[in-house]
Amino acid sequence: MIRRLPITLAALSVLVVSVFPVYWMVVTAFKPTRDIQADTPQFLPLHPTLDHFATAIGSEGFALFWRNSLLVSLGAVLLSLVVALLAAFAVARMRWRGRKAFILMVFIAQMAPWEALLIPMFIIARDTGMLDKLSMLTLIYFMSTLPFTIVTLRGFLAAIPEELEEAAQMDGASRSAAFRKVVLPLLAPGLMSTSLFGFITAWNEFAFANALIIKNQDDRTLPVWLSSFSNVFGTDWGATMAAATLFMLPVLLIFLILQRRVTSGIIAGAVKG
Amino acid sequence: MVTQAPERPVAAAAPPPPRRRRGLPALWPYLLVIPTVAGTAYLLFYPLIRSVIISFQHFRTGELIRGGAAFVGLENYHEALGSAEFWAVVRRTLVWTGVNVVLIMVISTLVALMVARLGKRLRLAVLAGLVLTWATPVLAATTIFQWLFQSKLGVVNWLLTTIGFSRFDGYTWFANGTATFAIMVLLVVWQSVPFAALTLYAGLTTIPQELFEAARIDGATGWQVFRDVTFPMLRPLFGLITSLEIIWVFKCFAQIWAISQGGPDGATTTLPVYAYQVAQSLHKYDLGSAISTLTVLILLVVLVPHLRRMYKHEGADK
Amino acid sequence: MAPRFLAAAAVLALAAGLTACGSSSTESPTDSTAPAATALTVWIMRDSMSDALLGTFERDFEAAHQGVTLDVQIQEWDGIGQKVTSALASNDAPDVIEVGNTQVAEYAASGGVKDLTDKVTELQGADWLPGLADPGKIDGKQFGIPWYAANRVVIYNKALFEKAGVTTPPATRDEWIDVTTKLNADGNQGIYLPGQNWYTLAGFIWDEGGDLALNEGGMWKGGLDSPQALAGIDFYKQLQALGEGPKDSDEANPPQADVFAKGNVAQLISSPGGAVAIEKANPDLAGKLGFFPIPGKTADKPGAVFTGGSDLIIPEASKNPDLAYEVIKALAGEKFQTAMATEMSYVPNRVSLGGVLTSEGAAAMAKGAANGHATPNSANWAAVEAKNVIKEYMTTYLTGTDGAAEAAKASQVIADILNTKS
Repeated sequence: MIRRLPITLAALSVLVVSVFPVYWMVVTAFKPTRDIQADTPQFLPLHPTLDHFATAIGSEGFALFWRNSLLVSLGAVLLSLVVALLAAFAVARMRWRGRKAFILMVFIAQMAPWEALLIPMFIIARDTGMLDKLSMLTLIYFMSTLPFTIVTLRGFLAAIPEELEEAAQMDGASRSAAFRKVVLPLLAPGLMSTSLFGFITAWNEFAFANALIIKNQDDRTLPVWLSSFSNVFGTDWGATMAAATLFMLPVLLIFLILQRRVTSGIIAGAVKG
Repeated sequence: MVTQAPERPVAAAAPPPPRRRRGLPALWPYLLVIPTVAGTAYLLFYPLIRSVIISFQHFRTGELIRGGAAFVGLENYHEALGSAEFWAVVRRTLVWTGVNVVLIMVISTLVALMVARLGKRLRLAVLAGLVLTWATPVLAATTIFQWLFQSKLGVVNWLLTTIGFSRFDGYTWFANGTATFAIMVLLVVWQSVPFAALTLYAGLTTIPQELFEAARIDGATGWQVFRDVTFPMLRPLFGLITSLEIIWVFKCFAQIWAISQGGPDGATTTLPVYAYQVAQSLHKYDLGSAISTLTVLILLVVLVPHLRRMYKHEGADK
Repeated sequence: MAPRFLAAAAVLALAAGLTACGSSSTESPTDSTAPAATALTVWIMRDSMSDALLGTFERDFEAAHQGVTLDVQIQEWDGIGQKVTSALASNDAPDVIEVGNTQVAEYAASGGVKDLTDKVTELQGADWLPGLADPGKIDGKQFGIPWYAANRVVIYNKALFEKAGVTTPPATRDEWIDVTTKLNADGNQGIYLPGQNWYTLAGFIWDEGGDLALNEGGMWKGGLDSPQALAGIDFYKQLQALGEGPKDSDEANPPQADVFAKGNVAQLISSPGGAVAIEKANPDLAGKLGFFPIPGKTADKPGAVFTGGSDLIIPEASKNPDLAYEVIKALAGEKFQTAMATEMSYVPNRVSLGGVLTSEGAAAMAKGAANGHATPNSANWAAVEAKNVIKEYMTTYLTGTDGAAEAAKASQVIADILNTKS
């Protein structure tokens, strides 16, 4: 037991360092203002309150922006999953001229300097009547998550032995049935962790949301709202942390519900990534 | 469910063995990648080309609004390459990337090796903690870090003061260039270690136990085992993670912009931040585009060795 | 076949994604083909007008213009330059935009703003405040219409002054430092002055006879490293130390009115309208706030102040320029201006309307306004502000050791930006 002590301590400190910031955010959000401003920080919410959440949720347009962000992010993730699955299948299961070039293109696409595309994207959106439209944001987020999704899904697919599919086909299943019944279930954790990543990327995006939604203020997304939040609430760290918690809420929920699956999914897929 | 450690050795970024599929038309793979290629062409390469064109033009607010930009040849590139600030930013970006990537790789290797030796419950707890960190959205993370390092009420200053460093009482972290740079490194490392550590840990689980046992019977120390067994087995994985981290750290923009906007006094201005500042704050879209183009070129040069290796590993097309 | 199944799924998802997003755009109020209602969008900056004032204006305007609805959108100061530029470059811009008087020149020069020269007479332009009218004018053409002006005064907590035995507000800098030192005791802050309040610094520099930048024969030269400017920031440093204002932030972060509202801050530098925000945050302070002009070097001349304020512009891309002009006419007209001066203590856009300023705060402001100044007259000045050159310089000066070197560096940056051809 004594010999395990150093490694146990190391593990606990890794755990603390990785979890504490998020914990501190949530705890601060639940503490009344006078506890937040206490000279000695309180590490437990001794007088829990929902006041800060009320402030954050009560601020103008919150529900609307939440809905917009959800629509855009889910739309982008779905689109990118389907498109990436097709491409990943072609790369992992088929051989064709141009395959190498395609892989290289996908890898290089990950290097795209997205902030630098703000102006060209603005011009393109303007000239095609796509300014002030959430669908334009959806397309951009789709594109910015696509390369990583392809790379990861391809890793997951490659990890599933082709023999399984073939066996199913021998048993008389059609190719699509074999794919649906054999590959897709095995792919589930991969799809889950990949979409979580895509979701976070889209959920986060600020620069394009700020530049492409100009006049239709009702189409603003949550990050834009969060950035204006500090202007409105300033020193109110309780409300700011409540806002950040609400911003992280979908991710926290997914994490709590699917924690083990997502963890193992990421580990399984990471190997081939 | 599923802790399916992949059966194949990690090195298999190589293609599946050639196998003729019955009746599979040769057209299928092309149909399958059409959506990707079309999307990338229209939503990435087309705007990228527009951006490069802008970098050869005189393109400021007036041109953005009225159109009719005139070509000026290499003028913007001359201006960018001729300014001392640009080169200072390039140096800073390289330092930034180097410091972060080294820290990320070292820490995540240690964490991965540690996790592999933990008991089941503690291992799951650490893995879950890492996934939680990995999943924290950038904007939430930046807000949290600003709160942690707040000068008056921040918990970090309280901690440092309590353990005896009284000069941190009310210390303004974000007023000092080096301190802000350090906080940014801390934030990026904190956010990046989980992905790298989880991936490396997954790789570790694929190494056959017999290899370790054999090495230990030969009397190898922990370091020798890592050097002679673990690292060689995971070399491709290390290569892939390192290059992905280089890309991500080099391109890192949102974190820096949200916390310091490149300040104070330019101490955290890396190339993407610099390009954004020039384009969006100074409205010199032309010069900003030139800087972005140079940024991508520098990144490509940094990654050429990896790209070449990757291209070779993928094997032949046919 | 698997691929067919997947392709079908792709099409479905694509359709779902696009219609989900499309639905929200059909709700948007930009449908200008409908003859019945025309929606006008007006951008107003955060905290520049009270909700009540805007609400009344909206109702009155809609009542006077049948079939017109006003959509007043509040904009944040952070990143506003990029936002307005995007709006000017779009095909369907807001119809009226409030822009700061230091930024209007850049927008006017861009070619995206409607030329309103032929309306100047109707709006009684001869009577306009020059500090608002001049930046909105380029080559004799008027693009920006003056809206309101304000300059900074000192707001003080009367109870804390009384407690410290201070009976008359200071009239010179020396007195000011003495009084503030006395107030800065017993857990109270003598003055809350964040390190990056650069408009206040500009005033101190002008007092010394310096300037932020100088135009010498067509070339700009940064002015922060002149002996006068260094004397100005020295005084700022001295004053700033008499309170707990953060050295690395400006008056908006945290909102200084909220800090003052806690009741342990004796003085604050703000436009008199700041008192409205303070009283809103802490109603107990209502009626307990006093005002005096920023003290100058001698008692006979108040401290120099920056004449801040806003102009109104109509983007070329506005779909309803005629109605937009009606909005501007109403906002710049006597009725709104009088109501605004009473509620917000702003200086009206026309000199002859100045008589409506009767409150204590407005009186202090009017005294200070006599020594009003403007930022360097260059279309590039907005870029100096956007890059936070002066703010970051102030922080490094206040926290660092070699102030003169920092000043020289910042001056060089300012010169570089101002000498850029656009």
